[in-house]
Amino acid sequence: MYWYHWIAIISLIFSVALFSYQFTRLIILGRPKDLSVSSGSVTKGVAYSFTKAMSPVVKESAYLHMPTYAAGIIYHLGTFLSILLFLVLISGFSALIDSVSLLFSIFLFISFIAGCAILIKRIISKDLKSLSGLDDYISNVITTILQLMTAVYLLASGAEVFYYLAVTIFFIWLPLGKTRHLLYFFFARYHLGFFYGWRGTWPQKSE
Amino acid sequence: MQKIDKDKRDKALEILKSGSDSKLLTHLNACVRCGLCASSCMFYITHKEPKYIPATKVDMVSSIYRRYYTSMGKIAPSLVNAKDLDDKMAEEMVDLLFGACTMCGRCVKHCSIGVDIAYVVRKGREMLSEMGMVPATLQATVDAAVKTGNNMAIPTEEFVDTIKWMEDELKDEMGDENARIPLDETDKNILYTLNPREPKFFPLSISAIAKVFYAAGESWTISSKFYDVTNYGFFNGNKKEATIIARNLYDEIHKLRGKVLVLGECGHGTRANRWDGPNYLQISYDFDMTTAVELIADYIRQGKIKLDKSLNKELVTVHDPCNLVRNGGLLEEIRFVIKSAAENFTEMNPFGNENYCCGGGGGMLAMSEYNDRRIKIGEIKANQIRATGAKVIITPCHNCVDQLLQLNHTYKLGVKIKTIAELVADAIIIEK
Repeated sequence: MYWYHWIAIISLIFSVALFSYQFTRLIILGRPKDLSVSSGSVTKGVAYSFTKAMSPVVKESAYLHMPTYAAGIIYHLGTFLSILLFLVLISGFSALIDSVSLLFSIFLFISFIAGCAILIKRIISKDLKSLSGLDDYISNVITTILQLMTAVYLLASGAEVFYYLAVTIFFIWLPLGKTRHLLYFFFARYHLGFFYGWRGTWPQKSE
Repeated sequence: MQKIDKDKRDKALEILKSGSDSKLLTHLNACVRCGLCASSCMFYITHKEPKYIPATKVDMVSSIYRRYYTSMGKIAPSLVNAKDLDDKMAEEMVDLLFGACTMCGRCVKHCSIGVDIAYVVRKGREMLSEMGMVPATLQATVDAAVKTGNNMAIPTEEFVDTIKWMEDELKDEMGDENARIPLDETDKNILYTLNPREPKFFPLSISAIAKVFYAAGESWTISSKFYDVTNYGFFNGNKKEATIIARNLYDEIHKLRGKVLVLGECGHGTRANRWDGPNYLQISYDFDMTTAVELIADYIRQGKIKLDKSLNKELVTVHDPCNLVRNGGLLEEIRFVIKSAAENFTEMNPFGNENYCCGGGGGMLAMSEYNDRRIKIGEIKANQIRATGAKVIITPCHNCVDQLLQLNHTYKLGVKIKTIAELVADAIIIEK
């Protein structure tokens, strides 16, 4: 293994360690200790929160913004695919993906374009620009470049050093920037399900 | 601009410490500032200014959290959008967290992540409360409740007079000298609560619920001192004051040895007592609590009251109070009662968990400094109402009633606004 493999692995360990710390902290803090009398079911509320409540047909953030929503979904799939491919490649199982690397590469180019589109929207939209700080741009650029470099590396092994550098930067930033919503997203959905489930709002009885 | 005392600022920052569970930590770290919540917020829809995007309000609070409680925020604040809690930030927080959010939670349901935006706004209000920056008008409402037991500082004598007057009205209407509105009676099944706007401005809503109780043969009473269901401590972010106010009803039901505390028609009052009361007091309540809506629904189901829908012929629609429906789960109960009492019913678009706030929530009605903003955002509700063609708007919340009355006047809707009890009282058949 070369130095760039090692720094990528070290950055992965850094990321996992920080996420483990944040995860443990959340678990120790635990679920809300509500003393009121529930009129619903937290279990059903949480289940609903992760399923039907996520459907694009019930969320204005999705159905009123379909192009952005679609770009976001593709972009996130590209991110998860990039992380998965890194784990496969660094583990020495690259042969497993040889036959589909072109397909993965094409998809990652598409997700790269989706990431660029989201970035451009943030830059040109007056509202989004006002809402944004450095973190928003850094998180987007790092993640988008990761997808581009993964796509390129799958087709051209000469890009190896740049690929692993992109991976390294990505994993270092992942738990520090807003990209940490990778972890907090799941807890946010849980708490939302808890809140609405406890009060009997979710799942909606008349649905 | 007011200078923030360092001690007060430190106390405000304490609010953002991890808390007793993982909820606060989660919601302070989950927003990705995608800005898609904008289209779910009536302030943004009306004004189209970036500062009204719900994520902007979340970011005000979470950026302070990052500045003081994360390593990156301490080392390189600008990299992670971490900001100081300084005078300018605090002033902006007052304007947006108090003056541009009703905490209706509509954005929460539609958030792409699931950030409880209203909860984060409440935390921001708690911080401002610690710094003594609650808008004076809202604070005055809380002070009145803490000092006198009701948020309108109605003297007990005046309240008792109003109740006696309504009792006389009830006797006349029922043609029964035994019809009563019992005050301060012990060992009754129900201790009923009111929004002080009822005795002050809308006493007929008291006689309406009294008629329902009369028809159901209920054993009930009202306290002459602690009848106020509202709790503006829920809005000003001062938990100590919210606890004092919540304790009033807790102590009163024990003093009068009532069995069930029935929360009058008030959205935030229901939320502050039913869902937050036990948490303010840090005890599980040893009595039952229900809302007027659920109680009336039970009466109908059990056949305790009989209704003739044909007595309410006009087309009615319902305005769903955010704290009873989206944040309280009463969507179906409200509709069951209305459909049992009115012949013609139509929904707004959108309705139920999707419904827009009337614009008077979050303490907005008490904060006269934001009156123009409140009436302006209410145009969304006015347009919703107009589109239904309904002649009567039903809403089980007196704060909503107030806001709807003002919208009715401003936007010339020409509708009548009623509470659930008033609608039911009009349809009730008294069997002699």
